[in-house]
Amino acid sequence: MTKRDEIRAFFSREIEDNMDALYGVALRLTRSGADAEDLVAEAVIKAWTAINTLEDRSRFRPWIFRILRNCNISQYRKQSVRPVETRYEDGDDEELAALLNEQPDDFLMWWANPEREFFNDVLGETILSEIERLPEEFRMTIILINVEGLTYDEAAEVLDIPRGTVRSRMKRGRTLLQKSLWQQAKEAGLIHDRVDGNQQ
Amino acid sequence: MKTKETHQHDIGCLQAIEAFYAYLDGEIEDPTSIEEFEHHMRHCRSCYSRADVEKLLSQRIADSSKAKAPELLQNRLRDLMEEIK
Repeated sequence: MTKRDEIRAFFSREIEDNMDALYGVALRLTRSGADAEDLVAEAVIKAWTAINTLEDRSRFRPWIFRILRNCNISQYRKQSVRPVETRYEDGDDEELAALLNEQPDDFLMWWANPEREFFNDVLGETILSEIERLPEEFRMTIILINVEGLTYDEAAEVLDIPRGTVRSRMKRGRTLLQKSLWQQAKEAGLIHDRVDGNQQ
Repeated sequence: MKTKETHQHDIGCLQAIEAFYAYLDGEIEDPTSIEEFEHHMRHCRSCYSRADVEKLLSQRIADSSKAKAPELLQNRLRDLMEEIK
């Protein structure tokens, strides 16, 4: 087997193993099944032409996810449509305190004493739709880490941001998600008013 | 230099919440920080409870969001793999 054959075999194996993950991330980026399929195909072709730039094979996943994301950016640049982004600075205690100050008191009270059953009652579709409503930078960070199992370093490589920003986005994104799920559940009557921290 | 005992009393709820996701995602490497976080969790019911549901939510997110590549895409990618051979 030549060196080229060996690279081809490695690439094919990695694509086969990561089809679902590539499609899953593409779906979150494009929000359309057909567009996601085209995006994955385009990214795979680009990845193959750039395979020599992959220096460490153990970093294949963050490397190809980054190509996928860049292909998507090129697409929306062509269409002059940019996803809405909200810029936040890297986090520290003050930023977290400000974030928590933004939340309603009854949410914070519930979050300090949540019902486990709440998460059993909230449907998977609700969780998905609330993730979809998050600003793109939080949505992608949560998907890459909580769904695709990337480390913070790998997610930082995909998103082209420092590791500290990944950590900050996880914190803010997950808090926003908690709050939106809580609001949904409250409207659906799954969360009850409490007196002195106890469920009525 | 702070003693281990002093370290264990340094962390408050705000710092614990700050470290929640990094801890749950296995992203804290410093043993002292891990020890401080875990010490706080053992002694603070509210933070323990928050961390408990965060773990549950992480699992629900992972379960709800896994996508399966459609067969058409799988075939398309396999055709592409054939083309590069």
